[in-house]
Amino acid sequence: MDEPPVRRRRATPEGAAGDADEAAARTTDEPAAGTTDGATSAAATPTPGAIDTAAPPRVPADRDAPRTIRELRLARLAARNRRPRTTPATENPLRTGLRLERVPDPAVFVLFGATGDLAHRKVFPALAQLWRCNLLPGAFRVVAVARRPYTDETFRAEVERTLEANSRVPLEPDERREVLERIEYLAGDFDDSGTFDRLSARLDEIDRRHGTGGNRLYYLATQPSAFPLVVAQLGRAGLDHERHEGGWRRIVIEKPFGRDLSSAIRLNREVGKVFRETQVYRIDHYLGKETVRNLLVFRFGNGIFEPIWNRRYVDHVQITVAESIGIENRGRFYEETGASRDILQNHLMQLLALVAMEPPASFEADALRDEKVKVVRAVNPFTPERVANDVVRGQYGPGWVAGMAVPGYRAEPGVDPESETETFIAVRLEVDTWRWSGVPFYLRSGKRLPKRATEIAIQFREVPHRLFREGNVDPEPNLLAMRIQPDEGILLRFGAKVPGLGLDIRAVTMDFSYGASFSVDAPDAYETLILDALLGDASLFTRADEVEAAWQIVTPIIEAWIDGPPPAFPNYAAGTWGPPEAEALIARDGRRWRRL
Amino acid sequence: MPPAPPSSPGQPVLRWQARARTIEEIERELRRIWAEPVLTTTVDGVEERHVAARTSVMNLVVVARRPELGERAAATIAALTGRHPSRTIIVTALDPDGPAWLDARIEAVCILPREDAPEMCSEFIYLRAGGEAGRRLGAVVTPLLIHDLPVTVWWPGNPPFATLPFEEATELADRLVVDGSAWSGDGLDRLAALARLAERDRPTIFDFAYVRQSRWREAIAAAFDLPALRPFVRGLRRVSVSYASRDPLGRPGTTNVVKPVYHVAWLASRLAERVERPLRPLDTGPGSRPARSAPEPEPGAPVGPGYGARLRSDGHPVDVVVRPIWSSAPDGTTLRLELLAERRGSELRVEVTGEAEAVHVRAWQDGIPVLDRFFRGPRRGEVDLLAEAIETPGRDRIAVETLRTAGRLLGTGAGA
Repeated sequence: MDEPPVRRRRATPEGAAGDADEAAARTTDEPAAGTTDGATSAAATPTPGAIDTAAPPRVPADRDAPRTIRELRLARLAARNRRPRTTPATENPLRTGLRLERVPDPAVFVLFGATGDLAHRKVFPALAQLWRCNLLPGAFRVVAVARRPYTDETFRAEVERTLEANSRVPLEPDERREVLERIEYLAGDFDDSGTFDRLSARLDEIDRRHGTGGNRLYYLATQPSAFPLVVAQLGRAGLDHERHEGGWRRIVIEKPFGRDLSSAIRLNREVGKVFRETQVYRIDHYLGKETVRNLLVFRFGNGIFEPIWNRRYVDHVQITVAESIGIENRGRFYEETGASRDILQNHLMQLLALVAMEPPASFEADALRDEKVKVVRAVNPFTPERVANDVVRGQYGPGWVAGMAVPGYRAEPGVDPESETETFIAVRLEVDTWRWSGVPFYLRSGKRLPKRATEIAIQFREVPHRLFREGNVDPEPNLLAMRIQPDEGILLRFGAKVPGLGLDIRAVTMDFSYGASFSVDAPDAYETLILDALLGDASLFTRADEVEAAWQIVTPIIEAWIDGPPPAFPNYAAGTWGPPEAEALIARDGRRWRRL
Repeated sequence: MPPAPPSSPGQPVLRWQARARTIEEIERELRRIWAEPVLTTTVDGVEERHVAARTSVMNLVVVARRPELGERAAATIAALTGRHPSRTIIVTALDPDGPAWLDARIEAVCILPREDAPEMCSEFIYLRAGGEAGRRLGAVVTPLLIHDLPVTVWWPGNPPFATLPFEEATELADRLVVDGSAWSGDGLDRLAALARLAERDRPTIFDFAYVRQSRWREAIAAAFDLPALRPFVRGLRRVSVSYASRDPLGRPGTTNVVKPVYHVAWLASRLAERVERPLRPLDTGPGSRPARSAPEPEPGAPVGPGYGARLRSDGHPVDVVVRPIWSSAPDGTTLRLELLAERRGSELRVEVTGEAEAVHVRAWQDGIPVLDRFFRGPRRGEVDLLAEAIETPGRDRIAVETLRTAGRLLGTGAGA
């Protein structure tokens, strides 16, 4: 466009010709409203000059408001001409096209539980990488809050060691120094309100000294039991208020979000007393993984998959989150958690939602999350009978993993020798929607399985009619597998003729590997998520209703176990694919788990 | 071929090398790379096949009209460890008046992304072409491209716009990579030619000079992010950009001004401004004396009137000045950008300055400071920019519009 429409702001009282011209000029702005406008207004106006676009339109005297299409159109046109032709003042035209490299506003990152494992393994390295990539503003400070009596210097030395050990890409000495000098330490107990008064004073001072503009991101990397306490203290100290003169306040909460439905509702209520839902960012780091985000692109950025993504073509779906590691000295934590709370309630449900969701109307946080929560709500409820039939739990005994003898779960440190905690879970469920009715989804996850693998496999139906009967083998149905880790990629399996005189069909695969097409390192999930939280983009965070909907599925399972007889644990050897019942669960339907 | 050493993750290893003198020979060697078992590695005397896969990203063609440009480009590409395009062809034209000849070195370089992943290989063809062969770029390069993969042509130095080799290069390119700030003279003739090229749908143009200034655009946009200042963006009255020059007389044509002109063009394209008077060198007024024997100017002193233009926005004129300043910074570097805007009798002044590792933006409303922010952004090297040119897909709509507007600003583009 050589003559952009925004330039034309003066009213044209020349009559129909000007009128048509104006309307035509607008078509680029508002194609829906103006496409036929320009053509008809010139042609269908018998008396040019009768319409004064700058004045209110003429309407029959017996009515006080325009009603017909023509009257309404003219009225609207006149109103438009009175208004200056500029983009609404709410938009910054210079921002267009810059979104990708947007840098967050100056802000203070307040990290609670700063001496903990998560802070050192994930949060500090992620912040350092963001800094290295120039994705953080210059006016950026970190206030680390924890109980231990560090000083700024001793804590920085600690973080420096962390960065050396855990950085995805090593930092230059300058970059490391810049990161470290932005970190301050505040020692204090979370149940002491004095801690939060001091924090408040410190934050105000930082705003004054460093120009961080009152923007604060509170990050809860503490024990889950401390979440309600910290939130309440923040509220008491008035640290949640988004002030009128600017300055946002956001809070990032790590999983687990509750232990069951009622505790999740309670936690959400506690948080909701202080923060509005739009201020709350619940991290499920699976959603920040590059390949999980690619799932959305794969489904909705390609035209060929969506038409077959339904019960008509899909036979069943398998989602596997397999870990070869055990519980890694987290015995006490795992005893209270188990595979159902650790993986099923969050990661598996999120993957299920992304695979089964309807296309959202836009790629905005709430549009996306609305669709996801609909899937979780559509999962048919687990009654005790269904739990007996469709859920398999397991616990590993001693065995061999990667050529090494490993102890059984009950022999791990911190674990009750009579423990009934499950380290494996397999679930068969259905999503009762128009799209998925009758298609089973098989979900499984476990510790000490033969290898680490996360994969979503869509198994398509068999061909309706077998043409190639003379072959010895039945053709395998098509399969689409999305590998999330390791070796991210997408695989499509189809049948091909075996070379030779016969008509044997063998399954071959078309394999796309991320490494071959994109040789760039993907950012760590925490980098993605922390940046999103700083930018105020909540798409990859879990909303309160999603959390509760997921608990609505998992809680009845746990309840049924509590009410039922004790399980015969251990029931699978470390280094195998789970208990035989898991095989039976899927074999019952004439299917089998994918070999990974 | 010598036995290939086992590779360690992240370290590129040369797995294959051959020479050829004709296109057919090159093609044959390329086929052999993937048929030969040299892409196996031997670990402790036991042969172990690392399934080697060719990256499937793109073809990169570098046209170097001087051997030293070719060498520098090769060094830049080599520094892109781990993000190599699938096939890189570096063409150097030599001895234009001699007989036609070809000489090619073909290499396969592999990298192990991780211990447990297959090796990823990419191919390099260092092609030297003499005589007429050096001018027939299309005929030499086209048969060597991997089919169905996009082609990026990187033309370092001064591309000869509107000549046969250049036309042939743009013909086969999906993306053309140039560096406007490296062009000789003020660079404006070439910028105008590039803008004409941008009127076409293909190739997509990626100019290092434009991309380098992304942090500036971020900073300028940030000045109008505050709701109170936002309406001023439509009330722009004056844009003044100063750039570093080491010509004590500040004569137009001596210093490359592509980068400062991009700033003006970007603003004009975003704000839908019309060019009323194209950019022209300003007359040396009576106030400025031609300092033939004058001492070296003070750092920061203006050394000439520079260039002027007038835009029109919402019925108001917007004056544009692009002015040379004596500075030790590299020639043509944007030093400062000033915007003056009016709205309902109130005045907003925005000043954006480049500092060592950051862009600093400040704003005053009627003399009262209202904004002071730093945007970190170290100077970006060629390796980094080339990586971005290779990795960012698609067409940057804003860049295209900026370039087209630059054409109009120079009074040569369509619609001027």
